[in-house]
Amino acid sequence: MEGEQRAGLFRVPFHIPSFHGLRTLGVYLSGILYALGFWIFLDAVLYSKHANASDLHVTFIDWIPFLCSTLGMVIVSAIEKNRLMDYNNGDFGGNEAIIWQARTVLFLGLALLAGGLSGSIVVLIIKFVIKDYTTYPTVGMGINNVLGNIFILLSCVVLWIAQNAEDEYSYSLTI
Amino acid sequence: MKFKVSPLTKIISLSGFLALGFLLVILSCALFHNYYPLFDILLFLVAPLPNSLFGSGSTAYSTSDFMTDSTHAGQDFAHFLTGTFVTSGITLPLILYHCQYITSVSCAMSILGGLIIYSSIVIFSWFFNSNWDGDEDALFN
Repeated sequence: MEGEQRAGLFRVPFHIPSFHGLRTLGVYLSGILYALGFWIFLDAVLYSKHANASDLHVTFIDWIPFLCSTLGMVIVSAIEKNRLMDYNNGDFGGNEAIIWQARTVLFLGLALLAGGLSGSIVVLIIKFVIKDYTTYPTVGMGINNVLGNIFILLSCVVLWIAQNAEDEYSYSLTI
Repeated sequence: MKFKVSPLTKIISLSGFLALGFLLVILSCALFHNYYPLFDILLFLVAPLPNSLFGSGSTAYSTSDFMTDSTHAGQDFAHFLTGTFVTSGITLPLILYHCQYITSVSCAMSILGGLIIYSSIVIFSWFFNSNWDGDEDALFN
């Protein structure tokens, strides 16, 4: 039954793995990606503090995109997304106001995530590229900032996909 | 099952393994008079904590279809934290090396020692949680 449902949407030449551990694996992968993002950014900070040869340093401005991304990830992960999808089901109590509230908060979280990524690119351009700090060990601090935010975004995407895939699976089991 | 190790042998060998891990990390600090890699021990000691708090005790319930959302979310959070801590433990010495806080030898030793500590803790809980019935027989025979 679940195989028929799964084969309905896409026609792929291989079998899509749908075992139970996929959710666990996805969540682990998401945690790994988040830690990578965090430490890549922290690498830039520590490099600026200890091994920096130039006169450009990481200040609080560089922290803002990272904080935005993390806050957005917390908000997006905390919302019950699968219940938001089928609002005809009425799992939120069928209350229209609560659904709109949830949509607004989810939009805020996604805007924070996107704002974090674009903010890090803005910091890279305004603080490093415009002022001609384009040789590698110095501009690496800005590039690490962008990479860290990309990894946090990826972590959020993987977490979302893992949780929703498993919910579909358990849904088809209970039907 | 012919090959059967008594629990006492497991405990002794695992404690030796754990001590080897601690030895490697502490040596990587003490040889270079630079005690930053000690944070690695802290990260790898915290890493198995979320799974033991939230995790494997209620795994049998989560596979049934009467799952509640709260246990699911708790397990997900535990898995997320585990992945984060283990990756942090591996990347922390690499980043300290890249920022010229520690040398490359110290970096390799602390990564290896931290992985040994973490794996010995995981193997310990795996030995004494998964097949507790078999071990109980071995204890009393």
